[in-house]
Amino acid sequence: MRGPLVPLTGADCFLRAFDGEVRRTAGASHLSQLVLRLGPGFDPERLRALVARVAEEAPILRAPIRRPRGVGAPVYDLARAARAPLPRVEVHPSAAAPPGAPRPLPEAFFARLNDRLDARRGELLRFDVVPWEGGAAGTDLALTWVHMLLDGAGSEAFVRWLDERFRGARGPGELPAGDGLGDVAPPALGAGRGRAAHAWQRHMRGLAARPPRSLAGPLRRVRQALRYELETLSPGETAAVAARARERAGFLTPMLFYLAAAIRAHAAVFEARGVDPGSFVVPLPVNLRPKGAEGAVFRTHVSMLWFHVPAEGASDFDALLERLKAQRRDAIKAGLVEAGVAAMDYARFAPARLYAHAARRSFGGELCSFFFAWTDRFLPGLASFLGAPIENGFHAPSVPPSPGSGAILSVREGRLNLTHVFQAGVLSDAERALLRARLRADLLGS
Amino acid sequence: MTAWSREALAQRIVEILREDILDVDERFTATSSLVDAGLDSLAVTQLLLALEESTGIWVDESLLTPENLASAEALAACVVDLAS
Repeated sequence: MRGPLVPLTGADCFLRAFDGEVRRTAGASHLSQLVLRLGPGFDPERLRALVARVAEEAPILRAPIRRPRGVGAPVYDLARAARAPLPRVEVHPSAAAPPGAPRPLPEAFFARLNDRLDARRGELLRFDVVPWEGGAAGTDLALTWVHMLLDGAGSEAFVRWLDERFRGARGPGELPAGDGLGDVAPPALGAGRGRAAHAWQRHMRGLAARPPRSLAGPLRRVRQALRYELETLSPGETAAVAARARERAGFLTPMLFYLAAAIRAHAAVFEARGVDPGSFVVPLPVNLRPKGAEGAVFRTHVSMLWFHVPAEGASDFDALLERLKAQRRDAIKAGLVEAGVAAMDYARFAPARLYAHAARRSFGGELCSFFFAWTDRFLPGLASFLGAPIENGFHAPSVPPSPGSGAILSVREGRLNLTHVFQAGVLSDAERALLRARLRADLLGS
Repeated sequence: MTAWSREALAQRIVEILREDILDVDERFTATSSLVDAGLDSLAVTQLLLALEESTGIWVDESLLTPENLASAEALAACVVDLAS
C-alpha cells in the first residue's frame, strides 16, 4: 500500500547501480529523454503550472531516493517529497528557425542528457523548452528523467497523463490505473529465486567466453559528452520496413529484425576500422508492465535478454536474424526473463558498486557492444500536447562513454525514427554516416 | 501431430493462454482475438514454446501474421497446416 516509503523495483535498483557507476566514471547521471517536436501554439507557462499541480498529486515525482537507515532495499521517501523543489521547467532563449530547412535538434537537450540529477534530493525529472521564433515556428520540448523513475513506456504514459489533466479528461488526484506507485511487493528471496538468480549469473558468465568490444573500447574515466542524431523515414519507407520486419521476424516480434540491422550497422564501422570486435553482446529490454494496466507510469517494469553473436555471425542479415530468434527462444524457454528479474531483485540489497563491478569484470572492461531499444509506436493516438500539435516525437536514452553508441527506434504516426545516441569522439562523421547508411540499407532491404 | 485436430488444438491454445500466460477468464474462447486479450511479444513466444511441447512443432515467429493471431482457431489452423 502507499506508505511514506515506497520500495524501488529490482529493475529500478539495477538502474540505480548503473546511475552510481555513470556518476563515478563519467560525471553524469543515467538519464533518459523523451523529445516532442511541437508545432505552434505551445505555452510553457501552462506546462509549468501543470507540472506544479501534478507534482502535488504524485509526490513520487520529487521523492528522494535513499536507503532507510543506510541499509535494506532503497525506497522513494514520499514523506520528504514535499520539502523537495518542484520539477524544473526551463524555458531557453528563442532560437531562429533556419529558412527552408528542418529545425536542428537543440543543443540544450544534449547538455541536459549529460547533466547530473540528484535523486537523493528528489531531483528526478526536468523539462527543457526551446521555442523557435518565439514559438511561432514551433517548440521543442524535452522531458529528461532519472531512469529509475520511469521506463520508456512509463514516460509516454506520463506525457499522456499530463495532457489528459490539461484537457480535463482526468481530474485532480486521479492517477492512471496501475500507476505503479503502490503495487510492488517486497522481493521474495527464497531458494527458488536464488537458483534463478544464479542461473542468470551463469548465463552472463557464458556470454563472456568471447567478450565484446564496443566502438568506444573499455570504460575509462571520461566525462560523458553525448549527442544524438535523428533520421526520420518517410511513410512509404516506414511501411516497407514494417512489412519486411513483419515477414521476417513476425507481427508481434519485429524487434529482432531491428536489432539485427543495428548489429550489422555497428559491424560495418568495425570493418571500416579494420578492427575485430570479437563478438557483439547486446541487451534487449523486455517490457513486463502489468497486463491491462492503463498507466503503470512510475518505476521500471522490465527484464533484459542478452544476445551474443560472434563477429562473423553478422556477415549475413538473414542468418543473423535466425540466430537472434533462436537465442531469444532458448532464453525464454530457459526462464531467463524471470531469472533476470530475480537477479535484479537481489540487487535491491547489494551495494551498487559491487553489482556493476561484477558485470564489467566479466567483459574485460566492456559493458556491452552498444545500447539498443525498439519502443514500437510512440504516443499512439496523441495528436497534440497541451494544445500544440505533435509534429514528431522520440526517445533518446543516455549511453555511457563506453560503449558510447546506442540505436533507438520507434514509430511516430507512420514514420520510423532512428535515433543514434553517441559519445562525442567515439565515431567520426564518416563512421556515423556509414552506420546510418548500413542501418537504412538493411531495414529497407536495398 | 497425429492426435491434434484443429478444434482440439484451438482448445489447447485457449487452455494454455488461460492457465499460464494471459490474465483472462472463461469469457476468453477459441474465437476471441489473441492480441486484444493481451498477447504480446513475450507471451506469444511463451505460447509457441508451450505449443511445441504439446505438438512437437515449432512455429516460426515469421508465420505469425495478424490473420493467424486473430483467434485460437486461426492459430490452430496455421499449426495444423504447417504439420501437414
